[in-house]
Formats: sequence, C-alpha cells, structure tokens
Amino acid sequence: MPLLDQSLVDSVIKRALRSGADFVELFVERKRNQSISVEESKVQRVSSGNDLGAGLRIIHQGTVSYIYTEDLSEDGLLKTADLAAQVGRRGGGRFAFGELVGAPRQPQRIEVPPDTVGPAAKIELLLEADQAARQVSGAIRQVAVGYGQSAQEVLVATSEGTRHTDSRTRVRLMVHAVAERNGEIQTAMEAPGMQRGFEFFDETSAAEYARAAAERAVALLDAAPSPAGQMAVVVGNEFGGVLFHEACGHGLEADFVGKGSTVFVGKIGQAVASPIVTAIDDGTMPSRWGTLAVDDEGVPTRRNVLIQDGILVSYMYDRLRAGQQNHPVTGNGRRQSYQHLPIPRMTNTFIAAGAHSVDDIIAATPHGLYAKKLGAGQVDVTSGDFVFAVTEGYMIEGGRIGRAVRGATIVGNGPRALHRIDMVGNDLKLAPGTCGKEGQGVPVSVGQPTIRISELTVGGTGVAGGGAMRP
Amino acid sequence: MNPIGERVLARCKARGAEDAEVYISRGTEFTVRVYKGEIESLVSAESRGIGVRTFREHRVGFSYSSDTDPAALDGLVDEALENGRFNHDDEANVLPQTLAADPLPGLASPALGRLEPQRKIDFALEMERRATSLDPRVRRVGDAVYSDGTGHVEIYNSRGLQASFERTVAYGVLETIAEQDSEMQSGFAFTHGRDMEELDLAGVVQEAVENAAGLLGAKPVPTAIVPVVLHPHAAAMILGVLASSFSADAVIKRRSLLAGKVGENVAAPIVTITDDARLPEGLASRPFDGEGVPARRTELIAGGVLKGYLHNTYTAKRTNSASTGSAVRSYKSVPEVGVSNLVLTPGELSRDALLARVDNGVHVSQLSGLNTVNPVSGEFSLGLTGHWIENGKLTRPVKELTVAGNVIALMQKIVAVADDLRFMFAGGFCGSPTVLIEELTVGGL
Repeated sequence: MPLLDQSLVDSVIKRALRSGADFVELFVERKRNQSISVEESKVQRVSSGNDLGAGLRIIHQGTVSYIYTEDLSEDGLLKTADLAAQVGRRGGGRFAFGELVGAPRQPQRIEVPPDTVGPAAKIELLLEADQAARQVSGAIRQVAVGYGQSAQEVLVATSEGTRHTDSRTRVRLMVHAVAERNGEIQTAMEAPGMQRGFEFFDETSAAEYARAAAERAVALLDAAPSPAGQMAVVVGNEFGGVLFHEACGHGLEADFVGKGSTVFVGKIGQAVASPIVTAIDDGTMPSRWGTLAVDDEGVPTRRNVLIQDGILVSYMYDRLRAGQQNHPVTGNGRRQSYQHLPIPRMTNTFIAAGAHSVDDIIAATPHGLYAKKLGAGQVDVTSGDFVFAVTEGYMIEGGRIGRAVRGATIVGNGPRALHRIDMVGNDLKLAPGTCGKEGQGVPVSVGQPTIRISELTVGGTGVAGGGAMRP
Repeated sequence: MNPIGERVLARCKARGAEDAEVYISRGTEFTVRVYKGEIESLVSAESRGIGVRTFREHRVGFSYSSDTDPAALDGLVDEALENGRFNHDDEANVLPQTLAADPLPGLASPALGRLEPQRKIDFALEMERRATSLDPRVRRVGDAVYSDGTGHVEIYNSRGLQASFERTVAYGVLETIAEQDSEMQSGFAFTHGRDMEELDLAGVVQEAVENAAGLLGAKPVPTAIVPVVLHPHAAAMILGVLASSFSADAVIKRRSLLAGKVGENVAAPIVTITDDARLPEGLASRPFDGEGVPARRTELIAGGVLKGYLHNTYTAKRTNSASTGSAVRSYKSVPEVGVSNLVLTPGELSRDALLARVDNGVHVSQLSGLNTVNPVSGEFSLGLTGHWIENGKLTRPVKELTVAGNVIALMQKIVAVADDLRFMFAGGFCGSPTVLIEELTVGGL
C-alpha cells in the first residue's frame, strides 16, 4: 500500500510552492513499533504502537521552514501546505541545494517480517535468555531482557519531481544483568541488533548474549578499581568504535563544519590521523543498523571514505550543506522522524582493519589499559575533548593481560588521539547504537578493529603504581 | 468528555476490558534557529497522539497511535487487549482511586499563543547579535535557538476520571565559540520560562560568552586531593543521575542504589532533597501525574536520611504504600515512576562565602560523561572542566581532569550548600545551589 496517493503528493507540493519557494519537499512516514520486556522472570510488558505523519520542508533562498502534522487526510495535508506557505520566510541567503544524484538501491531484504511472528515466540526467546543469565552464577540478582522491533516506511517527494521510498525493518535484543556480592553491585549489558526480520534469531542465540552479559557482571565483582594516570590504551573492537564516532565522526558532519565549530575545518587533504588510520562511513552495508537504500532526503547512500591513510578526504553532507559548501551529496541527510528536519548524520562508521592480531598488540604493550569494551561517552565537538566509560577493562603488564579493573574512564582529545593511534588490528567488527544530536536519535553502527593509542588519560579510583594518591 | 476518549473507553468495555484508561496529548512547537543574522531554520507544528491501557484479569495491555481516525482507534483498543493477553497477571495492576486534584494556576501563559512569530525570531537574532559583540574572542555562535511549546494532556478512565491541564514552556539556547590562537572552546547556556517574557536574554548571553571565553587556555593539572566546588548546573546533573534511584520500581526490580536504605544516612546531614510537582517555578510542575493522581511534594532525603521512594499506582499497591503521584509518561508509554522537579534545598551561605572557605581547590563548571555513571552501583568516573580556586577566588581554567568515586560517598562528603538555587533539565527538572565537597581525588597529569 503506498503511503500516500501520487495525486495528493503532487497537489500538496504544488500548493506549498505557491508561496514562491525555491524548493518544497514532502516527507511521509509510517512506523510500527513493538517492544516486549521481561523482568523478575515475568513478562512485564508487551506494547505496540503506530507513528504516522508527514513533514513539509520549504526553502526560500537560504532559509528553511518546516511544518509537520499527523493529519494525512487530503484536507489536513492541504491545510498544512497552506500553513507552510504562510509560515515560510524569505531568507537573505542564496538558494543552493545539493543535486540528487545516484541510482536508488533496493531496500534491505527481510525474510520473516517480524510483524508476522506472534508475541509468544518472542517471549519464549526472552524467557530462555533470562534463565541462561540467571544460571551463570548465584551472584546474579537481577536480569532484564527486552525485545524490540520497528518497521519504518518513508516517502520523500520533492518539487524537482523526484519520488523515493525506503523501508527499514529492525530487530534488537537487550540483556541487562546485575550481579551482587557482599553489598557490591556490578552490571553488564549486551544489545545485538540488525536490519533483518525475525530470521535474525536463527543465527543469533539470545541465551548466549544473556550468558555473556551475566558472566561479565559477575567477573566485575572481582575487578579492582582502575588506577588513574597517563598510559597506553588498547581499545577493543566492535563498540570500541564509539570513540571514533563521538570524538571525530561528529566533527566531520558538514553542519558543524559549515559553522566552523569543529577542529576539522579546512583540513581536507591534511594529515589528521596517524598514517595507519583509514576511516569510512558506509550507508550501503547489507543489514547493518545504520544502512539505508536512500537517506531521509531521498539521496542514495554511498560508501564514503572520510580519512584515507591518515589524510582527511571528505566530510558528511545533507543536501542543504552540500549545496552551501559546493560539494556532491554523500547520502548522510537523516532525521529521527517526520517531526524533525534532516541534518548531516553518520550511518555505519568505522575504522578500517589493519595488519595486527590482538595478541600482537597486547604483546607489544609493556604497560597500559586494555579497554576491551567501552560504554557510554560524551564529546565536545568544538574542542574535540571526550570522556568514555570502560565497561570491561584489564591492566596490561609486560605484554600480558593482567587483572580486571572496573570504574575506568578514558579522557582525551579526539584529534590528538587520532594521531596517537600506533597499532591497528585485523579484527574489524560493527555494533548497533542510537546516535543523538540536536534532540534527534537515529540508528547507526559504530565499529573498529582493536587499536592502540600510545597515550591517554585514564580516570579511576584505584592507586597507580608508585603514585602518591589515596583512594 | 472528548469524543475520542468516549469512543475508546466504550470499545474497551465492549471488548471485555474490566477497566481502561485513555491518555490523549496534543501540543504545539515553534522553534527558530538563527545564524549570522539570518533565520537558518524555522519549525512550526501541531501534534497529537493517544495511548490506551486496558485491564483484564489483572493483565495490563497497552498500545499507542498518532492516528486518531475512528478505524485506527478501534484497532488501537483491540491491539492493547491482545498485548495484554501475554503479560503476567499481577494484583497490583489497578487503576488509581479517583481523586480530584487541586488546580495549579500559572502553568500556562495565555500570552504565548498570541505572540507574533517575528518577536520570537527577533529574540533569537538579538541573542546572537549580543553574543558576538561582548568579547573580542567570541565572534561566532555554534547555535542560537528560541523555542516554545504548549502541551495539553487529557486522561479519562473507566472509574470516572476526567482530568486535563495545559502547560507552556519557552526557552532560549545559546552556544558560543571562543577563539584564541589556534584554540577553540564552546560555551553553552540556556534560559527558560513559561513565556518569552520570562526569558533572561542578557543573562544567557553573558553566561554563554563567559563559559566559552573563560575556558580558553585551560590546561590539565597534576593529580591532587582537594576540596571540590560544584557549580549549580554540575550539581544538578549529579542529582539527575540519582533521580532514577528514587523510583520504587527501580527498588522493586533491584536496580536502585538506594534500595533497602530507608532510614539510613545516605548523604551528609546538610543535605535535604525533595521532589515537588507543585513548585510554582518548576517546569515539570503539574496538577496530577500520568495516571491522574494528584501531584504533591515528597521529601526524599531529609537531614541526610533517606525518607522513602517515589511511587506510581502499581508500585504503591505492590509495596503496600501510597502513590506519590509520580507516574511519568507520554502517550507512547505506560506510566513509569519518575521525578518531577527534584530539588536539593539551598542553604543560607552566598556563593562567594562558600568559595571563601576554599584555599586551594577546584571549581567544576562542567562534568562530562554523566551518561557513563552506573545508576545501579553508583560508581562514577567523570571528566571535569572548570577553574582552580586559590584563596576563595577562581583563577586559571583547567581541563581534562578526572574524578571518580561513588555517588553516595560523594553525597556524604557535602560540607556546604549555597543559596543560589538554579535549575536544569537532567532526567527531570533538577535544581541545586553551589555545593562544596570536602575532598576528592582529582586525576590529572
């Protein structure tokens, strides 16, 4: 079923154009969500919902106006178009907009649409995961497991006469384990997800992820507080890529670049990282969390090399910034929903694989922290300063992995850290996440192989070797 | 009653729900973002949605939709009931007793709806103009935004509840960029109120400019064990981290670091924390909560002692206590337990007098990595930015410092609170004055 009749799409765009706008775009979205949660080994919640709405973007010279509505009736949409024509303001700037180029690709192939599977099968999966986690140890005191699915259909139509559609189906499992011993509490989580149908769970064992989370929470009970200080840091693969995403990726988004508020402004062609670093944003990777056939402006996604052998090659653009900065579109115009304006966003962003095995990297490190798994983090795009939590960490002593440490954070500066990457592993992996910017959350992948940063500040409560600190 | 509510409740009953509840919200949004003296973007919208909860044999079903077509509404009810079949049965799944909430005047400014859009645009432009003419080192903004909105909530249930209220909010957000040599620092500030008239334009400009320019030349310092002063915003962010642990749901599900600690000293005796949903200046204030239960003021920590937790109807029933009117939700979710306006009670000391008690220490203006704090164990390790304090005065800017510990231990080390209460959004509308912490290990070089 098409999201909206072609004739209605045409009349809405025509109506909105009456304001004398340079450009009109209609974005229509339908999204079905379902989530199920199990806590205390019981089904706590099965809930579902529908989002349906449209947004009209109108550009007069350099000024963007946006109106959204949930009323998709003919009357409602035409009224919205009239309102848009009325609200739309003429800016003083020049109208420049990235040309829509590239062949549209097919949406991701979904074998078993998750909507066709009843709640019972999903609940069975969750209860199995819950039991698997609880059986790991008597120290596991709470387990929360969740399942989520969403199916989003979008239509992007413009006054240029273009029409693009995409369909994005995602499934995800979440496991959160809490371990306790003698009043000491530790937690760990796993959250695998793909743009797949329910067939994702044919190859993905929910129980295995649950056990992994529970084992990590229990192991953390025996971990010592992390020492603080400057040291070499080996950052693990997969979600470790969040470090690049936050500390560098955002700085390569063309809206920040256009405002001169990132350290990467004017650095195209210059060395911004150590020569062993190549970084890529690729919206075309099959089934990945951040993959799109077309972005939320109808631009076919591409594989964009951001940094090649340490040299800055490209920023990431939406149509507006591509036009303003006279650069071809890159397929990075994204929005959370019909209630939001598209802005430059990452898709699947990762550091490319290098030559070393993880064992090589550890063996070559006399003293440092092995940040095997990173958790949440925060970055200041302007200065590039970042902080990340280490959710699974070990000390490295004499080229060997030593005692587990907890409560460590790594603190530093993105551009400086990029130059200090002195080893890149061969074990590239990607992980799903939700990236927030200007109040909009969009699904992305982060990723990297294991890498080593020669020196970073590590924060923690423990006593550093020979240091004068007390806990 | 709203005909939509009537239709939904009637269908719930016809389809076999013993009890049912409809939550309808609608709102408006106006946001203007300016850059270099021009409108960069302008968003204007009216929005709406509906959520339905059904109760049958102590099983709760839930479903939501932004589509309020009659056919869609019928489907919504059927889906909620179907979802409910799979949930476990729990006698604590009940609707609240219907009580009339005292009105709470002043939540909505009628003037906001009459305000010409051009005046809002001018506010944003003026914010940018002033921000770039106050200090030669600050000549650009990263972001200058004016935004306002109205929110209207209606709740109806099969026990006769019919409640509604409206709230307005307006805010200005400013991010400035300071430059010196090859260094760039950004400074953030915001101002909020129920109407544009309540916004402090001069104040937000001054603060954003000072925040950016004041950090130029910031350097790491050697590791030290020193007294730490938290700016009200930094302290409010820590309150925000603690917020989820006051939830009785988190306590029941063993996800709260305050579980089992009622009656214990969880903070220094100088610390009193309340959740006050009727606070006149609180942007999270409301006459009733997400289930229609009258809102109130709840003392959570008094004199350092934990007094209790926040409850919705479910957690109250399950633990044999009374709801504190703390159900929070949108139309897209069932009522969870959450804070409204969470306030660390200010003291009598001025900020300067508090600072005067520090000979050598650090003043923290920004904490980073708060989203990395483990809300269950309370362990944190944060990055901090601010100024060194010498003889009661802020001196050189410092950055890339770390501080680690446990939230409860931190609360127990608070030795002074000033009288300068300020609010910010941090997992609720959190307010705190400047706070002095006896001593912490601040990690640096």
